[in-house]
Amino acid sequence: MASQPVLHAEKLAKRVTSGERTLTILHDLSLSVAAGESVAILGKSGAGKSTLLGLLAGLDTPSDGELTLFGHALSRLDEDGRAALRAGRVGFVFQNFQLLPTLSALENVLLPLELSPRAGEARTAEQWLERVGLGERTSHQPKQLSGGEQQRVAIARAFVTDPELVFADEPTGNLDPDTGAQIIDLLFTLNHEAGTTLILVTHDHALARRCDRCLRLTNGQLEAFDPAPASSEEGDE
Amino acid sequence: MSDINWRLAARSLKRDLRAADVRALFVALVLAVAASTMIAFFLDRLERGLERQAGQMLGGDLVLEQRDPFSEELRNTLEQAGFTLSDQVDLVSMISQGERFQPASLKAVDDIYPHYGVSHVDRGNGVEQIASGPPAGEAWADPRLAELIEIEIGDRVQVGQTELTISGIIEREADQSAGFGNFNPRLMLNTADLEATGLVQPGSRIEFELLAAGPPAALEQVQGLLAQLRRDGVEVRDVRVDRPQLGNALQRAESYLGLAGLAAVLLAGVAVAMSTRRYVERHLDTAALLRCFGASQYQLVTIFSLQLIGLALMASILGALLGLVGQSLLLWLLTSFLPMTLPPPGIMPLWLGIFTALSVLVGFAGPTLLRIKQVSALKVLRRELDPLPPAAWLVVGVASIVFGGLLWLYSGSFPLALALLVGGSALLALLWGVSSLLLNGLLRAVQRLTGGGEWVQAFRLGGRQLARRKQAGLGQLLAFSVTFFAMAMIVLVRGDLLTTWQDQLPEDTPNYFAINIQPGERDAFEQAVAPRVDTQSTLYPMVRGRITEINGQAPRDAVPADARGDNSLRRELNLTWQSDLPEGNQVVAGQWFTPASEPQGWMSEVDATPSSDSETVPISVEDGLAERLGLGLGDEITFAVGSDSIITRIDSLRSLNWDSFNPNFFVIFPPGVLESFGHSFITAFHLPDEEQGLVRELVSDFPGVSLLNVDAILGQVRDVLTQVTRAVELVLILVLLAGVSVLYAALTASRPVRAHESGLLRVFGAGNRMISRVQGAEYALLGFASGLLGAVLAELATAALYLYWLDLTPRLHIGLWLTLPIGGALLIGVIGHALSYSLRRQAPAASLGLLGEA
Ligand SMILES: Nc1ncnc2c1ncn2[C@@H]1O[C@H](COP(=O)(O)OP(=O)(O)OP(=O)(O)O)[C@@H](O)[C@H]1O
Ligand SMILES: [Mg+2]
Repeated sequence: MASQPVLHAEKLAKRVTSGERTLTILHDLSLSVAAGESVAILGKSGAGKSTLLGLLAGLDTPSDGELTLFGHALSRLDEDGRAALRAGRVGFVFQNFQLLPTLSALENVLLPLELSPRAGEARTAEQWLERVGLGERTSHQPKQLSGGEQQRVAIARAFVTDPELVFADEPTGNLDPDTGAQIIDLLFTLNHEAGTTLILVTHDHALARRCDRCLRLTNGQLEAFDPAPASSEEGDE
Repeated sequence: MSDINWRLAARSLKRDLRAADVRALFVALVLAVAASTMIAFFLDRLERGLERQAGQMLGGDLVLEQRDPFSEELRNTLEQAGFTLSDQVDLVSMISQGERFQPASLKAVDDIYPHYGVSHVDRGNGVEQIASGPPAGEAWADPRLAELIEIEIGDRVQVGQTELTISGIIEREADQSAGFGNFNPRLMLNTADLEATGLVQPGSRIEFELLAAGPPAALEQVQGLLAQLRRDGVEVRDVRVDRPQLGNALQRAESYLGLAGLAAVLLAGVAVAMSTRRYVERHLDTAALLRCFGASQYQLVTIFSLQLIGLALMASILGALLGLVGQSLLLWLLTSFLPMTLPPPGIMPLWLGIFTALSVLVGFAGPTLLRIKQVSALKVLRRELDPLPPAAWLVVGVASIVFGGLLWLYSGSFPLALALLVGGSALLALLWGVSSLLLNGLLRAVQRLTGGGEWVQAFRLGGRQLARRKQAGLGQLLAFSVTFFAMAMIVLVRGDLLTTWQDQLPEDTPNYFAINIQPGERDAFEQAVAPRVDTQSTLYPMVRGRITEINGQAPRDAVPADARGDNSLRRELNLTWQSDLPEGNQVVAGQWFTPASEPQGWMSEVDATPSSDSETVPISVEDGLAERLGLGLGDEITFAVGSDSIITRIDSLRSLNWDSFNPNFFVIFPPGVLESFGHSFITAFHLPDEEQGLVRELVSDFPGVSLLNVDAILGQVRDVLTQVTRAVELVLILVLLAGVSVLYAALTASRPVRAHESGLLRVFGAGNRMISRVQGAEYALLGFASGLLGAVLAELATAALYLYWLDLTPRLHIGLWLTLPIGGALLIGVIGHALSYSLRRQAPAASLGLLGEA
């Protein structure tokens, strides 16, 4: 579709210092994601997946390297500038759902819509809840919903602003396999329908396989990776 | 964009109202506003009432007084400036009915009288409120005059060369303050009849008064003219300068009320700071998420500020309503010694309340709230990424500045505000140290408790919990102990101090004053009284005189600015003459008169011939008065006595023993000067219980003599004290509530930790009952320590009062040491236990995931 990548990372590095020791989590990492593409990032626990996701979404700043999001060099933007860039254009799905406990399902979905410059109406939020199968539960608070239902609310929230890019950090990590599978189906269905670019962090090879491209994070760098075919799935991780 | 901020703020506020920290914040703000508006409403009404009453008492906004009629020219100038004028003439003259003669103080008023207020007059149909003087041909007598010359409504009295019909008995004049003014009884007549009386003669002592009513602007316009008039010797009274001073007790009460109110505001502020901390912690996740969705830092601050401001406004309205109720309660408590009906509450205090709430919010919550801005969006991925809480010095610093500003606003004086702030902080630091020691000691003692009883165990565990939160606990301890101390002081002052003071007076301290004994009655009165009383003071002659000049200047210009409204300058003083220093007086500077001339043995009648000597007379002045007016030895004071001026020089300063209940005089003349002026005598005596019958005999045999019962006066003092202290108590209850709000806020702030503690206790096998007891015990210990410290403070303060004020050896108040700690333990224990109820209910869930979010 577009000639320009949605996201382009060039020689990213992330180092953290705790006390006297410097820990390099990522180094010399490059990545380019085209519009409409879905990319899976795999890696062992502690490999730095979440750290990378935070960098790519502009939630955090790299120690080195250059990152371009929607054609904007993030290094030239301050926190507020990066936030403004995200508003309405980036959706998030988290492992631990991150719904606001004091807001109802509908209000949670409305939240990014209200913060986005292309503000929509409450109706849009209701429609999205209906699409994730929670049309009847709009007024319920997160604690009244099951884990899977909460994650569905979170997915509706991620897509409600019609974003160009959705980040998902282990969206099934806190769910049982059956529920996880349902959530994955939902995520990919919506993604295809909306033609969104998806960057997905996961442990799950089956999930990774459904993406256009798979990358593995080892020793702070990304490498192309072909998740094992269905037959040998159990052998990994 | 801003629209969404509002919506988000409103929505989450609505949900948040259920959260304990938001409730604590709300309650604290309500209390701050209630306390400040209650006092502001009340003081505002009092101020406006006084202003209005000042005009009424003066008889106008501007009153001019001189010995001659006022010129047309002056009248025109004043009328052009926007004043309405009314004429009044005052003079003393003999009036008679049949064989009965009586000197009376005549007051002739015109048809415009009174500018303000109403007179209370009985015209035969009970007492009516009348906004005019008597019509021409008629006169109103006060009850004393009516009794003295036995007149009734409808009788005719001789006034100078004319006769007037008494058409009313005047209980209270529109333009005269309550209390004893002139010694001569009053007759009010119409200026139209003045001519006919023939009393207006050159040389007779007549005061012409011009009463002007007009707006402040008019008063402003004629200031130059007034200065000129003052120089010309015209007595000028300006409502803004000569406003009546509040009674001492009321003035004290006013400042106590103000202070107590601010104490409540301060405590509420502390509660606000504590609950904001928890509030912010609870909302960090929300903030991070909003950040993640693209909200700017500014937007975050806006959303949360809007939310809190919304909360503050709601709290202001509720608080102001409570303040309104509170002020009417205050008014009701103080009613009987407010000398007037007050105007209805104004709107100003409401703004003040809202302003107070917002200031408290900004000052005590601001720095903490800004922490929310610092939250990183990355927190959605890494939970532990919490921004650091603001530095303690920043929180305390900002809060101090804002509170200092409030002190300034409320006290109206920057140095005072600064002194209160600095002094208060120093005192608090000291108390902090003391209470820390006390709490440590108490906690150590509790840990040493042995025995296996459930309660003993509960106290040991509760003590340990308290020890873990010692900083917060110390703050609460301080708040409660100071409140308990203030309450104890009030009760002690009302009961113990007054009683002790009264008990230490000698048995035979005079219990009656007799005033207005006419020279002709003097011997008869002595003979009637002397054999039946235990002790009797000398009969002091008394002459009334007004200070007209000090060192050749108008008194107002010669005294320090704050003494301009002093009663001694506004009213006539009681002067006496003595050759010897009266008992109980001590010369502290200068020399007592050296006996020169013998006191004259004869007494003159009213308005005798003017004395002829014009040389400077040595006088003795009470040191307190001299200090107030900035006078010293050698200063010259001119008195107007009768129609004469007497130039005097201060030769000695005396200290008085006001406890003696003997007649005391500010100014004493040597014999041989005042004898020729109209005077009466005053004495004091102690009448034993079995001789109380004498009072009735004296009243009937000497109707002109007024007897004042000291016990009754002391009773009044006690009444006043009771009412004032009740009012202060009411405010202290608010302070106590503010203290409880601190407790509540601290409780919510420590909620997660407490849930964890209860969870642990449960894991180790403690039942609901045990956990509940431990919590009760923790607060009971806190209350006990507060009560103990309160008792220490109260005992020290009373000891100081005993030593320096009553000159007595201090005694121990056992009751205090029992009531305060035990009462405090019960009160705080029960309240804390009740407030932690919801926590106990949540505890089981929390105990499962020991560190679970509350
Ligand atoms: N700010 C930081 N300070 C210290 N260490 C950090 C910081 N951020 C990340 N790390 C460390 O970097 C490593 C990578 O963390 P990250 O959360 O990215 O791993 P992950 O691949 O997402 O793991 P998981 O699969 O368990 O979620 C971890 O060892 C983590 O402890
Ligand atoms: Mg991770």
